[in-house]
Amino acid sequence: MDPKLSEVSQMCELFKAALVRNDFEKCETLLSQLKVLLTAFRSLPPLFEATLNAVHELTVARDIYEHAVILSVKTEDQDAFERDFFQLKPYYTDAGDRLPQSQQEFPILGLNLLRLLVQNRIAEFHTELELLSASALENPCIKHAVELEQSFMEGAYNRVLTARQTVPHETYVYFMDLLAKTVRDEIAGCSEKAYDSLSINDARQILLFSSDQELSGYINEEHPEWEIKNGYVIFQKAKESAPCKEIPSLQLITQTLSYARELERIV
Amino acid sequence: MATMVSSAGGLLAMLNEDHPTLKLHALTNLNAFVDYFWPEISTSVPIIESLYEDEEFDQRQLAALLVSKVFYYLGELNDSLSYALGAGPLFDVSEESDYVHTLLAKAIDEYASLKTKAAESNKAAEVDPRLEAIVERMLDKCILDGRYQQAIGMAIECRRLDKLEEAITKSDNIHATLSYCSNVSHLFVNRREYRHEVLGLLVDVFKKLPSPDYLSICQCLMFLDEPMGVAGILEKLIRSENEDDALLAFQIAFDLIENEHQAFLLNVRDRLTQPKYLPAEPVQPVSTETESAQDATAATTEDVQMADGTQAATEAAVTGSVPVVDPKEATYAERLTKLRGILSGETSIQLTLQFLYSHNKSDLLILKTIKQSVEMRNSVCHSATIYANAIMHAGTTVDTFLRENLDWLSRATNWAKFSATAGLGVIHRGHLQQGRSLMAPYLPQSGSGGGSPYSEGGALYALGLIHANHGEGIKQFLRQSLSSTNVEVIQHGACLGLGLAALGTADEDVFDDIKNVLYTDSAVAGEAAGISMGLLMVGTASEKATEMVAYAHETQHEKIIRGLALGIALTVYGREEGADTLIEQMTRDQDPIIRYGGMYALALAYSGTANNKAIRQLLHFAVSDVSDDVRRTAVLGLGFVLYSEPEQTPRIVSLLSESYNPHVRYGAALAVGISCAGTGMSEAISLLEPLTSDVVDFVRQGALIAMAMVMVQISEASDSRVGAFRRQLEKIILDKHEDTMSKMGAILASGILDAGGRNVTIKLLSKTRHDKMTAVVGLAVFSQFWYWYPLIYFISLAFSPTALIGLNYELKVPRFEFLSQAKPSLFEYPRPTTVATTTSAVKLPTAVLSTSVRAKARASKKEADQKEKAEKSSATESTSGKVKSSSDKDDDSMQVDGPAEKKAEPEPSFEILINPARVVPAQEKFIKFLDDSRYVPVKSAASGFVLLKDLRPTEPEFLSLIDAPSSNASTGGGSATAQQGSAASMAVDDEPQPPQAFEYTS
Repeated sequence: MDPKLSEVSQMCELFKAALVRNDFEKCETLLSQLKVLLTAFRSLPPLFEATLNAVHELTVARDIYEHAVILSVKTEDQDAFERDFFQLKPYYTDAGDRLPQSQQEFPILGLNLLRLLVQNRIAEFHTELELLSASALENPCIKHAVELEQSFMEGAYNRVLTARQTVPHETYVYFMDLLAKTVRDEIAGCSEKAYDSLSINDARQILLFSSDQELSGYINEEHPEWEIKNGYVIFQKAKESAPCKEIPSLQLITQTLSYARELERIV
Repeated sequence: MATMVSSAGGLLAMLNEDHPTLKLHALTNLNAFVDYFWPEISTSVPIIESLYEDEEFDQRQLAALLVSKVFYYLGELNDSLSYALGAGPLFDVSEESDYVHTLLAKAIDEYASLKTKAAESNKAAEVDPRLEAIVERMLDKCILDGRYQQAIGMAIECRRLDKLEEAITKSDNIHATLSYCSNVSHLFVNRREYRHEVLGLLVDVFKKLPSPDYLSICQCLMFLDEPMGVAGILEKLIRSENEDDALLAFQIAFDLIENEHQAFLLNVRDRLTQPKYLPAEPVQPVSTETESAQDATAATTEDVQMADGTQAATEAAVTGSVPVVDPKEATYAERLTKLRGILSGETSIQLTLQFLYSHNKSDLLILKTIKQSVEMRNSVCHSATIYANAIMHAGTTVDTFLRENLDWLSRATNWAKFSATAGLGVIHRGHLQQGRSLMAPYLPQSGSGGGSPYSEGGALYALGLIHANHGEGIKQFLRQSLSSTNVEVIQHGACLGLGLAALGTADEDVFDDIKNVLYTDSAVAGEAAGISMGLLMVGTASEKATEMVAYAHETQHEKIIRGLALGIALTVYGREEGADTLIEQMTRDQDPIIRYGGMYALALAYSGTANNKAIRQLLHFAVSDVSDDVRRTAVLGLGFVLYSEPEQTPRIVSLLSESYNPHVRYGAALAVGISCAGTGMSEAISLLEPLTSDVVDFVRQGALIAMAMVMVQISEASDSRVGAFRRQLEKIILDKHEDTMSKMGAILASGILDAGGRNVTIKLLSKTRHDKMTAVVGLAVFSQFWYWYPLIYFISLAFSPTALIGLNYELKVPRFEFLSQAKPSLFEYPRPTTVATTTSAVKLPTAVLSTSVRAKARASKKEADQKEKAEKSSATESTSGKVKSSSDKDDDSMQVDGPAEKKAEPEPSFEILINPARVVPAQEKFIKFLDDSRYVPVKSAASGFVLLKDLRPTEPEFLSLIDAPSSNASTGGGSATAQQGSAASMAVDDEPQPPQAFEYTS
């Protein structure tokens, strides 16, 4: 076997072991080295050269990136997740026909959908969805994400929050937590538009907080423009909503009429 | 590639990794796939840009290259270029991709425009060194790959003379490259100064070569106006031991002559060093040479042969005038004499004269028809006939028609008499030796003062025409005549004559003489003086122009203003940007006549450059000026600007030719006539055809003349419309109800169509594509005939003989054969006109032009009939020798190409021509020298004067053209006999000879 490949495989085992041990620092250093080593293989995307060990190399590389994605979830690093996921993706989309399907494929795709949902990137979410086959949509991991999105869009936020209990995979928990915050942001945005003010009590209920402290903490952090006064949360809607510009209708009418007159004169 | 990735997302994500190796990996791969994934990458451009700007990242250039490519796909070429510059060496100029090609073009454009801007504002260019580096890399690559023409083009465009030199010297065929380069510099370098720089460089390169191409060097030097250099080269060549070098020197001289730059040629001639002693038989063409005998001692000191020289000098001092002949010096002296003869133009003029005389094929019957059809009292048509005769016989010295019709001629009075006399000058054009004695009867007689001032003035004008551009000998006489008279008609003639003779010499004394005439403020003389001053100062852009402008504002006479306006225009001939201030001043003038001059100035300053700016300006005036004269001239001027690219003209003026304004239509017709003269271009003819039947008489006139100019020397076989046009002309001339204007146009057109005995064409460019100054000036003044008919004769300046004249070392014309690989009928002379009916011959004025080639068989039968008839009719005449000679000739021609004469046989696909032969421009590409020929040309050329190398010098040579035209001052009958006799002894053309022009005894 190719010495480079065996080196990578060994290191990959170390990496996976460290991941299981939750030794994140070690994981990071190993991963970084692995990635550099992977660049030397010409069979990997984007080159896809048909070398002798192509299938094996591809499998190892995919394995590494899958674990890298999981690592990023564990370290709660969304940027790293995105990076690693995109690097992993060609192994599913472009090399899928040459490799046996990975166990991890659907959970990770689902995770990515969830991430998009969390980041409120709905357009990308649907793009990704379009790329999946009909059978993939049946997979519980994917289905979960799709259902979440539907509830999210409907505004059935409570359903979103209860879905946390029915996660298909343990890695989803992190994102589900984040999702709660996304939901809250969404609600906050709506109430800001809908109400001039709300009593602290109502606000706490609507925003799904259990205590007033949490509420005021949230307000300070995310919406410093809100005001808490006399037991009410005042949304600064009045300030923002500057009157829309008046349409200079009279001027337009006279102009149009004069054009018409001129035209008549010319003809 | 087995599989393709479907998205660049993975690689883009990799860019965000921390590890530089990963970034590099991503960049490299992105760079490879950018052609497919640029839309995806374009969203991440900011990341890549930040990589490029990151000082610590060691692959910044790769990032820049990637960004550049993405911008290229986005169509942002400017951004793309600036990043490509950042990519440094990674931007591979040799890559064969659209991206690289586009960016290179962009870079070169950018660089060239920067350089040009810098050069024009005289500031050092602030060019991005990286941009410069790219252009240089590109140039180096072109040179390495052997694409020299590309490199040369770029180097010229970018004003990189250093690279230009490199490209030329490294090329594998330096001579070809150099000639390409000089060609390019004429065609595409618009700024005159810069063109001079380029040519200067070319000359330097030329000189460094081991075997320099002296022909080209001298052409360049002439353009740079460096007579010293040319003189040096010529001298070196004729001092050489080798006879071939001397031949080359002669060839150079002939080529220079063709450009008709009188002042320059005189300069070269005067700079050739004198031989140490004059040979015993000094046949000196110039008077200056005699003085040199005294300077012999001085000359020796600077000679190459020092030892010999000093010894010889002492001997010379001792022996006085007795020549002790050092053979080398003797050959030098002999060659020098020849060379001077050539440079002064005398040799070529004489040979041309002999050629035109001996090959004269003019058809007197046409003239006769014209003469009989014009009404007696219509003086316009009467003088038009005289003009037509003069043009038809220009340079042939055949004045039979005039001599036979003295009675009829005597009806010309006043100015008609003036032009009738001047017409002799056109007929005898180039007859330098005998010109004066020919004109003697008409010239002003000192003391007696009996003659008509009109014929005297005309005679002076005629002298000018005879000596046009070679007026050394006659200048003095003309000056005297000018100063000794105060009759304005004579002054008029003398001024024109002087201007022609001293064309472009910028002689101060002559100028002052003419200025004095101008200041008499006489309308008639002043007009001629104005034009004459311009002729004298052609192309000098001298300060005198301001003086002329001032006087033009001062005087009341429109004629004078017009003369001056044209004169001023002539002074800026060929100056291009140098003339802009003057043009600006003239075109903004209040006076339409000065604006009219401004149009000429614009046309002449940019003549033959096809300069876009000039074209735009002319078109602007053509549609916007309030004066019809100015508009007409503006359109006409387009013809001058575009004559180097005649294909363009019909397209540019086609709209104008449909203008509602007849003046503009007239201008359009003449513009086409001028720029497409002698080309027979199909588009030009199609454009002119409808104009020849325009509703306005003067438009018809212009169109007929222009058509004749385009069709000159085009045979009916190559364009059938030529025959139709000839018939149209005849119809117009014979039609009693036709307007005088168009009738005159038709008469002139018949003259131009058969100009110079059917052996000349109108050419404004020499073979080396230089402007022929005399020709351009001639046509410019000719176009003035609108106001003043005698100026029609200026068209003779534009005629150049279409001949191949081979010369041996002795500058004699040996008899030898060469090949024209085309059907003879394509280029043959038009058939002579014949009388329609053979039976009831007498006194029918109608004549029908025999037309088609397919009627050849019939024609040859008819020819036989005619010969009989000619015999019969000529029996009434005194000379019977004529007939004999004509049948002799026919016999000869039968021997040369019998097959062509036989009925059934197909036309041969080639013909043998005998030196000297008529070779029309379209025929040039078919000319081949025979392989086993005794003579080999020094340079490959298919027309003009060609020096021949004799491969078998021991054998006796047979010379053609030994007979000089005899002095026609003798009786008319005598001259006619001489002509016929010589024609018979001449090398016989293989075409069927036209039958004798027979005359009716009326």
